[in-house]
Order: sequence, then structure tokens, then C-alpha cells
Amino acid sequence: MPNSEHLSRQYDSELEDIRSRVLQMGGLVESQILAAIECLASGNVELMAQVTDTDRRVNSCEVEIDEACSHVIARRQPAARDLRLIMAVSKIVTDLERTGDEAEKIARMARQIHGRGRLQIPRSADVSQAGQLAVAMLRRVLDAMARLDATEAERIIAEDVTIDDAFRGIVRQLVTYMMEDPRTISTALDIVWIAKAIERIGDHAKNVAEQIIYIVHGTDVRHTTREGHGEPDGAE
Amino acid sequence: MALQSAAEIRALIARHKRRDVIFGLFGILCLAIGLLTFATLFVDMLIDGYARLTPEFFTNFPSRRAGQAGILSAWVGTVMVMFVTAAVAVPLGVASGIYLEEYASKNWVTDVIEINISNLAGVPSIVYGLLALGLFVYQFGLGQSVATAGLTLALLILPVVIVATREAIRAIPAAIREAAYALGATRWQVVQGHILPYSMGGIMTGVIIGMARAIGETAPIITIGALTFIAFLPPSPVGAEFPFVSFEWLTSPFTVMPIQIFNWTSRPDPAFQANAAAAGFILVFMTLAMNGLAIWLRYRIRRNIKW
Amino acid sequence: MPDPKPALDSLPLKAHAAGLNFHYGDFHALKNIEMPIHDKRVTALIGPSGCGKSTFLRCFNRMHDLYPGNRYEGEIRLQPDNVNLLDRAVDPIEVRMRLSMVFQKPNPFPKTLFENVAYGLRVRGIKRRAVLEEKVEEALRGAALWNEVKDRLHEQAFNLSGGQQQRLCIARALATEPELLLFDEPTSALDPIATASIEELIAELKEKVTILIVTHNMQQAARVSDFTAYMYLGELIEFGWTDDIFIKPKNPQTEAYITGRFG
Repeated sequence: MPNSEHLSRQYDSELEDIRSRVLQMGGLVESQILAAIECLASGNVELMAQVTDTDRRVNSCEVEIDEACSHVIARRQPAARDLRLIMAVSKIVTDLERTGDEAEKIARMARQIHGRGRLQIPRSADVSQAGQLAVAMLRRVLDAMARLDATEAERIIAEDVTIDDAFRGIVRQLVTYMMEDPRTISTALDIVWIAKAIERIGDHAKNVAEQIIYIVHGTDVRHTTREGHGEPDGAE
Repeated sequence: MALQSAAEIRALIARHKRRDVIFGLFGILCLAIGLLTFATLFVDMLIDGYARLTPEFFTNFPSRRAGQAGILSAWVGTVMVMFVTAAVAVPLGVASGIYLEEYASKNWVTDVIEINISNLAGVPSIVYGLLALGLFVYQFGLGQSVATAGLTLALLILPVVIVATREAIRAIPAAIREAAYALGATRWQVVQGHILPYSMGGIMTGVIIGMARAIGETAPIITIGALTFIAFLPPSPVGAEFPFVSFEWLTSPFTVMPIQIFNWTSRPDPAFQANAAAAGFILVFMTLAMNGLAIWLRYRIRRNIKW
Repeated sequence: MPDPKPALDSLPLKAHAAGLNFHYGDFHALKNIEMPIHDKRVTALIGPSGCGKSTFLRCFNRMHDLYPGNRYEGEIRLQPDNVNLLDRAVDPIEVRMRLSMVFQKPNPFPKTLFENVAYGLRVRGIKRRAVLEEKVEEALRGAALWNEVKDRLHEQAFNLSGGQQQRLCIARALATEPELLLFDEPTSALDPIATASIEELIAELKEKVTILIVTHNMQQAARVSDFTAYMYLGELIEFGWTDDIFIKPKNPQTEAYITGRFG
């Protein structure tokens, strides 16, 4: 693939800038999730404020990157790989921004749980573990984005089921808690929301991975079964 | 940043402009030398011959007495010879030019022909006179006639007409030619519908400039043996009786303006010098009028053509 | 993609080039070109200067026959009668009567508007005034010029603006009802507004006629064409649906060219 430079260095640096800003935004979101999970474990109020604060930065990142994309489209009329990169980036930033929102949601739920003053939180270790899984997935997808690694992106898509399974496991166990002791219901429901948020983070990471495949191969693998998206017809 | 200060730049410009002025003056001087020489000659002829520029001068035959001598036979002869020249040189020259540009394949033969045509334009006119003497006068037995003189001068200006035609055709953009061919036109359709009409201005200019040159030619006409003193007109080309048109004039002896002038200047009587000046003035005037016509025609025809 | 694209080989063909080689003297200008021209579609030829796209276009109406030292090999078969346009036995004049061409710079004849449009008909020996008038009007309407010029048909063509002159040239090309319309960089001498009107016209014309257009403006190819062919150094590098060429070209060379990485 032509990774050589454009005739216009300016164009190259604009595209490079967009890519690095997306990775930067990804980094912010990653730290946000980590903080939110930490919140849940420790009930640290300062961390909660940090999560909300980071979300504001993530949101402004989304706006700025979208603007940079419009700028490139208007001025450079990108084609082929460049066009796919711009189209994909504008979708990826939406996913990242939503991921940030999920992190905020986790932090909010964590505050609620800790606010009730209950010492023991059912299944919190499982939830933390699922959260780590989601963070790892996000980190890998950002890494794949940096290297434009479609093979890694495919692996990530395949692994999304692990988080889905974890989510279902947590819900099943929480149901048993609630049946045993109805007083845990409100907390358990909050935990379900957190687990759901983590599951959504995994979905967003998967969406980003799909966009990476689109950038590299030009094939749209959204809404398709896993088998469909291999190497496209001889592009590489 | 600035390489020089504003004051320095101004001084520099002033120095450069002085050179502009100096060359401008020099150019005017050079131009003046040429124009003044010509104007002096023209005015001098006009002063010398002014007294002779009467209507009778145009209607009298040459005479032994300077005061009664006129240029009737000379200007009629010139007009007839020019007519023959144009009638022969234009079709031959234009057709040759078109053939060379549009039909001939480009190879070494056409290259040789091209070089030779350019060379022919530079051959001294007396050489054409010698050729005409051998070919037209003796070989074809045309004698010392209007036809011989016309053909000779036609030969003389043929290269000029061919070159002018080719230049005029080359000035037509390739895109116009291609547009016509792209619509399915044949070569002849392109020539007839486009090449000829669009190059007509240039061709006419070339022809008239060639004719203006031919009108003053003396050497070849003398070589073929034109009479220097002639007191009758060739037979009229149009008659009152059937078939109304006659070509007898073609074989008639004749004289032309430059020969008449030459004849008068070689006489000792100064009165004849005045006649020569008057005739010279008329000849120059005819040449200028033809050039004027060329300019006007070019303007007229090119008015609707812009590329 | 919004509308599923039919398979390429299921589309009707207007012409097909195969094994096409072209030489200018010793220069091998086109190398073994194989390319379909689909019926009633716009096919764009793109590529850097000197890649042979105009040379290829000018093979279709045998314009190269006007100049010495040119040699064709291979074939361009025109449908439906499957005649090989490049066959020595086929008269180039016959080819040019079936195909029309619009050139890079507007090149109206220094004649009136009417005579410009009527010229192709006159070449065919049509003399009747009524027929000429009808065909001229039809062609001018087809070229979206009729309303602007209907009252000045007997004025000189040079009095029109550049964009109008080019539409006049399109009308001149349309008057003979060509089967295939060739455009050789038709907007390279025009301003953006005149360019837009020509592009609009091309989109309308493809309802009736097959169009092959050479352009060095990639965005123009993307805007007006259904198919795009990328040529480089006399070779056809890639041919495909315009969407595919501009979004996911298969060949890295095509990708390098259309993304502006061509050095």
C-alpha cells in the first residue's frame, strides 16, 4: 500500500494530525474508564470529578476532530484510502465519545452505590475484571488504529463475545443475590447498569475495529457475520 | 530584508530609464533616415513632374516632343500584363500551396521542393527574363507580347504566392482542421469549406504584395524585348461585334510603366526628365494603392476570424 | 453502497478495445489496451500528462490517420455491428461519421452559429433548409444552448462566451446523431461555472449517447462518470466503477495517483 508521502506535505501533516488526535482522544477515554473502575472499587470522590472533567475534554476532542475532517474534505477532496480514513475517523470519534459517556455513567453509578454506605458490593471483583477486559480491548484497538493493523482488528471483533459473556455471567449471579436478599436489589441494579456500560464499551471498541478494517481494505464489515470479512479482492 | 534602499532603487530606475530614452531617440533617428529618404524622393518626383500631371498625360501616346508625350500605352500595357500575371500566378500558386500543405505527404521530396520554392523567391529577376526569352519567346513562339510578359512576371511572383498561401494555411489552428475532419469531412471538403475561406485574407495579401513587386519590374521585361517606344494600343479585349471578347491583345506588342520611365530618363532633353518624374510618381502611387488594398482586404476578411 | 451495482459483464457494450497498441513513429504510446465501453454510460480516462489517455481517445475516431508515422495494432470493436474501427479496410471517414468529438479548447468554425451546427449535416450532403433548421434546433436544444442563442443563429460563433462556444461545439457534435461521443478534456479552458454547465450537460446526454471523456481533473471524472480507467505510461492500470476507483482502488498505482501521492 502506498504509505509514501503526498505531493503536498501540508496534506500529509493534516492527515497525520487527525490520526494522532484520535489516538490522543482514545488515550483520554482509556484513562477515564480506568478511573471510573477505580472509583467503583475505592469510592474515591476526587476520581469521580476527574472522570467528569475528562469527559468534557473528550467531547471537545470529538468536535475538533470532526472539524479537522470537514476541513480536509473541503480543501483536499480526499480519495481512496485518505477518504476512507476521514470517513472512518468521523465515526470512530463518535464511538470514542460514547465510550467516554459510558465511563461517566460507571462513575455516577459508583457514587450512588458508595453513597448508600454499603460496605459489601456484590460481584465487584467480577465487574472490575470485565472492566479491565474492556480497557484492554480499547487499548488494543487504538494500537491497531495506530498501526492500521486489520488482522488485529479482526481478532478484537472476535473477542467482543468474551465481554458479552462476562456481562451475562454477572447478571445471572446478581439475579441470585436479589432473590436471596431483596435489600440488595437497588445496589444490584446499579451494578447491572455498570456491567451494561462495560459491555457497551466493548461494543464501541468493536465498532472502531470495524472502521479500521474499512480504512485498510475498503470493505464494510458492519452488520455482517464474522465469516464475510477476510481479505478483500486482491487489494493487498 | 530589502536588498536596496528606496532611494537607491529610485536612482537605479532613473538610470535605466535614461537608457530607454536614449534608445528611443536612436530608433526615431533610424526610422527618420528611411522615411525621409523616401519622402524626399517622392516629393522631388512630385515637384519635378507636377506640371506634367494633366489628364492629357494619361491619354497621350509617347511622342518625340516632351510636352506632348503621355503614358497611355504604358499604363494600359501595365494593366494588361498585371491581369495576365494575376490570372496565371494566383490559381497556380494557391493550388500548389494547398497541395503542399494539405495533400503532400511529408517526406524528403516535399522538403526539397519546399527549400527550392524559398530559393526561387530569391532568384534575381533578370534570370527569369532570360528563361522567358528562351522558353516563351523562342520555344513557344509567343514573341514579345503581353502574354510573354504576363507569364514571366507570373513565374517571378509564383514563389511569393505559394509561400504566402502556405503561411496563411499554417496560421489556421490544427484544432479547426481537426474539428472539420472529426465530422467526417474529406480533404477536399475541408479545403473548400475551411482552409480556403479562412486563409483567403493571407493569400490575397501575399498575391497583392507579389503584384506590387511585379509592377515595378523592368529587367525581365527588357530582357524579353519589350518595345520602349510604342504609339498604339493593343487590340481591345471587348468588341462591339460577336463574340464580343477577343484574346488578340495577348499577342500584341506592348510597353509598361517602368520601361517608359527608363526610356525617358535616358534622353538628354531635360523636359523628358519631368515626364519620367511624373510617371515615376504615378508608379509609386499605384504600388502604394495596391499595398493599401492588401491591408484593407486583410482587415475585412480577418474581421470575423479570431484565434 | 446505496444502489447495488450490476456485474460488469452483464452490461451492454458500445465498444471494446482489445490488444490495442499504438505507435507514434518509434514511440510505443499505447500498450496492449483492453477495455470495455459500456452502452449509454460515461467512461472517464484519467492519468498524468503523457499517459496516453488522449492518444487512446483519438484512436476511436482515427484522428491519428491525419498525421504521418502513426501505426495501430489490435482492435476497437464498435457494437452493435461489431466493426473494427481500426481496420485498414474501414474508411476513417465512415468512422468519423458515426462518432463525434469535442475538443480541449472550444474550436467553433469562424462561421455563423447555424453553419457551425449544420456543418456535419452539410458534409453528409443534406441541403434542404427545413431539414437543416430542424436538426440544428434539436442539436442546440440537446446542448442546452437553444434558449440562449435562438435569436442570434446567424451571428458569428466567436461572439459567444467560452462556455457557450464549447456547448456550440457539443451541439455541432450532436447534430449528426453520433453513436459514441468523445470528449477530450472539454473543460480545461473554461471557468468553473462554464465547467459545471458542461458537466451537467454530460449527465443529461448519457441518457441518449455513450460518452468517453478524457480529463486531467480527477474530481471531474469522479463527478461525471460511471466508469473510470486509470492509465499510466501507455498502459491501462485499472478499470472499474468510478465509486470503486475513488473509494477502494485495487491497484496501488491507481491509489497513489488519485490520493495525490504520485511523484
